[in-house]
Amino acid sequence: MKKYAYNEITLMQFICILSGVQLSVGLLALPQRLAQRAGTDGWIGLLLIWVFTVIANLIIVRVMSSYPQGTMMDLLTHYCGRWVGKIAAVLLALYFFLYGYVGITRTILYVKQWLLPQTSTFQIMLLLLIPTYTVARNGLRIVGRYAELVFFISLWIPFAYLLPLQDAQWLYLLPVLKEGWLPILSAAEIAFLSFSGIGITMVLYPFLLHKRQAFAGVAISNTVSMLVFLMISLICFVYFSPSEIKEYNEPVVNVLKNIEFKFIERIEVVFISFYLFMFSLSWIPTFHASAFCVSWMLGKPDHRNPLRVIWLILAAGTLLFMPSFTQNDMMGRWLSKIAFGFEDAIPVCLLIYLWTKKE
Amino acid sequence: MNKLLLPILLLAATTGLLTGCADRLDMENASIPLTLGLDLGQDNEPVMYSTFPVFTKNSKKKTQETSARARTFRQSRAEQDAHSAGVFSGRNYQVFLIGKRMLEQENWFQMLDVIFRDSKNTVSDRVIVFDGPLADIIYLNPKDQPLLPILLRGMVDTKSGKSETVNTNLQELHRQLFESGMTPSISEVRLDAKKNIKLNGTALLNHQGKYVTSLDTSETVLLRILQNKVKKSASITLSMPGEPEQKPFHLDKISFATDQTRTETKTITSTHQGEFHFDIIIKMKISLFEVLFPYDIENKTPELEQLLSEEMQKQFEKLIKKIQQHAIDPVGLGLHARAFEYKEYKAVKNDWGKALSSADIRVQVKIKIDAMGPVK
Repeated sequence: MKKYAYNEITLMQFICILSGVQLSVGLLALPQRLAQRAGTDGWIGLLLIWVFTVIANLIIVRVMSSYPQGTMMDLLTHYCGRWVGKIAAVLLALYFFLYGYVGITRTILYVKQWLLPQTSTFQIMLLLLIPTYTVARNGLRIVGRYAELVFFISLWIPFAYLLPLQDAQWLYLLPVLKEGWLPILSAAEIAFLSFSGIGITMVLYPFLLHKRQAFAGVAISNTVSMLVFLMISLICFVYFSPSEIKEYNEPVVNVLKNIEFKFIERIEVVFISFYLFMFSLSWIPTFHASAFCVSWMLGKPDHRNPLRVIWLILAAGTLLFMPSFTQNDMMGRWLSKIAFGFEDAIPVCLLIYLWTKKE
Repeated sequence: MNKLLLPILLLAATTGLLTGCADRLDMENASIPLTLGLDLGQDNEPVMYSTFPVFTKNSKKKTQETSARARTFRQSRAEQDAHSAGVFSGRNYQVFLIGKRMLEQENWFQMLDVIFRDSKNTVSDRVIVFDGPLADIIYLNPKDQPLLPILLRGMVDTKSGKSETVNTNLQELHRQLFESGMTPSISEVRLDAKKNIKLNGTALLNHQGKYVTSLDTSETVLLRILQNKVKKSASITLSMPGEPEQKPFHLDKISFATDQTRTETKTITSTHQGEFHFDIIIKMKISLFEVLFPYDIENKTPELEQLLSEEMQKQFEKLIKKIQQHAIDPVGLGLHARAFEYKEYKAVKNDWGKALSSADIRVQVKIKIDAMGPVK
């Protein structure tokens, strides 16, 4: 019996949600962070962490496939009992909420810095939350369609990034492996946050139309994310001089500041506004997943009430506390540690557990 | 009923919120400075200048100029604001002018922090050094020429297309200043004897952003060739040795345009004290435009190519000697040194200009005549 029928998502939607969660707010600062750790060799770190993430993600899918009709919570209930499932639901709900929270607050900080410096954070939060609610209150299929839409309307962005290449200085990339492998490993660690978010597979899996496609899906989505990260980082590395790139907080935006068209100046403003679509994928699916976990725990089929509670917490919370850039960075660092636990350590343990149980 | 309530509430909330764009600035209330100027005043205090277009019918003069003394740009803004009808904003600068006296100070670039920190400011303004007190050019207002910023910007854009000056904007200058293996170069203008604005060529700065020396337009062409940055064709005139001059004419001249140049730079470091060797091979395809002395081009093409190559080589060597004397690297040879001889470069990267001044740089020019024109 299919528990989650009528809300199945296609492979394309699965890929778009997963890549969307990964390719979000971390993107703008990524080249600068890589450069801090490993100079222009930082891109090698991306490749390393990509291999690592694909493997981790395949492990998650492998674990999920042992109970294909349910989410991670159903799986844990089936194998370990009801209470383990409930605890897992609470933890996952908190994790997804934190993930979305870091994403939405970072977006607000960007909006404030680049677009609306004098508008209050509370107003920006409300403006972002309204579409969030209208998308996330529906089933996963709508979230999937939204992710697909965002993917297609963002397809032109990579082409705009080819424009700064006329000022590029490819010599900046040489020599490869300037200082050996150690800085590259350290850059890989910083790139880990950008690649996190694959944990959402634990909730998405039962909704996927053809379960056999899950392996291909996670491989493709991680590769898409990797290619985008790689392209953006390389463009920033050849455009800015190696010591200059460390001076910018969001080199991905600054790289566009020099583009001049006859009809528009300060093109980066258009981009930041457009990026809001992409960034929204870091919190819409995760808040949806968070609300889903809560409603699962309460045993109710409708996830809208938990979503409304999340909505209110966020709206009211912004009045009381809004993280600054440094605090947001710190939360991001915590998040990447937590993500390591949820997305890498626990699935591996589960996989071993399931194997031993079978034997 | 209940179904309608939520959308209506949402709509009301949205309309309520949208009035909150407090950042809006109406065009009528904005004054849009197009030029940003920075110079040292007589008492060695920085002075900021700006010029903005005036859109009123009643005023005869099309621009307004303001100057303000203040320790920082941001501080001067209030003072400049007091002179104009609208709110001063830095969103539309076209050119950034700097006086030569200011440029002779070290670390003046740090004063520009606001331009990079305040994300509203443009960074694509052309950087131009003015040879003289900046007030001379800001308040010049020539009757027969377009607005100063438009004139200067056009000058830099078209002349850099012909490689007669560099096209350095603020972002590019930022990049060059932060690059240890290269020193910045910016456009230079001055007033000639009749008080007309004239493009002078290129000013070369050192690692700290301090003015070192200038190149005229023909030297700048050579510099751009060395940088491998010649996009369209550049025009070069040479004096042929051995040909009589025949005063008052200069009948020893030959002019040509580069159709295509390709510069290859090779870096070798000798182990002996980490000295750098650069082999620069320049391949040029040219078309002749002007030959003032009699020459049998059709039959003696290889000889002419050889002669021109040797002459060009001398010119390049002269330029490189000048660069080395001043311990700067506008060509960006340091980038090659870092890319191919990283270990040795790292040892000297804090003073790359000095390391380059003792480097061994050899230029080899290979000229090929593509077209000699419709006459023999």
